[in-house]
Amino acid sequence: MKFNIFKISFIITGLFLAACSNQNKKLPILGEREPIQKIVDGKTVVDTIYKTIPDFNFMNQDSVMINNQSLQNSIYIADFFFTSCPSICPIMSKNMLDIYNKYKGNEEVKFLSHTIDPKHDTIPVLKKYASKLGVDGKQWSFVLGEKEAVYKIAKDGYMNYAATDDKAPGGFIHSGYFLLIDKEKRVRGAYDGTQEIQVKQLMEDMDLLLKEYKSKK
Amino acid sequence: MRKYFVLALFLLFTILSLLSACNGSFDAKYERYYADGSQIYKVHCQNCHMAAGKGLARLIPPLTDTTYLKSNREKLACFIVYGLNDSIRINGIDYEGKMPAEKHLAAIDLAKVLTYITNSFGNNQGIYDVKEVEQNLNTCQ
Repeated sequence: MKFNIFKISFIITGLFLAACSNQNKKLPILGEREPIQKIVDGKTVVDTIYKTIPDFNFMNQDSVMINNQSLQNSIYIADFFFTSCPSICPIMSKNMLDIYNKYKGNEEVKFLSHTIDPKHDTIPVLKKYASKLGVDGKQWSFVLGEKEAVYKIAKDGYMNYAATDDKAPGGFIHSGYFLLIDKEKRVRGAYDGTQEIQVKQLMEDMDLLLKEYKSKK
Repeated sequence: MRKYFVLALFLLFTILSLLSACNGSFDAKYERYYADGSQIYKVHCQNCHMAAGKGLARLIPPLTDTTYLKSNREKLACFIVYGLNDSIRINGIDYEGKMPAEKHLAAIDLAKVLTYITNSFGNNQGIYDVKEVEQNLNTCQ
């Protein structure tokens, strides 16, 4: 009898611990947020508005329009690159390719690589780049948009950085971040795409995020 | 008679020790080239050709084609300094992308990084001396 009580209390403690660690494991929501007051059923409640990715329309390597609607029901990773980039892009592409190969076939995961050199990286150039990288299917989009629109969404949406610079190798500068975006279009993580350790962390966080949606269902 | 024998032995010993010293300094030079070369590789080559020299899919060629590197040994320094615009065939695959020029690298650095590359990733060509690089740079097209 005594043994049983011991056993039960052990299980209960275990359950509590499991619950705690589960809560700790939620990813943060990045960016500015503002509280708003709403009236629900005659009572005033405070709700939080999180920063989300603004609307956009970019064309991918298969001439398909990619926007927030086409990305609904999936989490995705966004980054900024250009095909003739001699500096950090190849290592970023390699790391992204590793992630892509891990989640290949998982419809809940998508990839969005924005070119910051729309003059050179036309749709056929992007298509060639994708197929030489070994990417086919609809999961990974290499998108082309108006230069101003891409630079603006990099700054305002993804809190990232892209610009032209004649002094930089290749003529453009951009940060090497991979941004993890959830199904509500909120930024949930930023990872240095040139660092293998951070890329590993990103994959762990992606699993966490996917789990979040599984438990909601 | 015994005098001659001792003298001969002494001479032999001297020659042997001189030879081994020679060998030793040659190895030390190679080690230094190789070690410095690995650092230069990290800064100037690794972002594209990757840490293991495997390149990137069909976009960037690997440095593992020992036959290519051996038969084009005299062109390698020129490739690094002036970059590549034409497509090249490595391990039976054609690569079309441009290789950027690294004009700022000195001959000694080229020798070191080439020593590293031609003795890593499955290659085994021995030291790439700075004199050889200087000679090869005169023949760049």
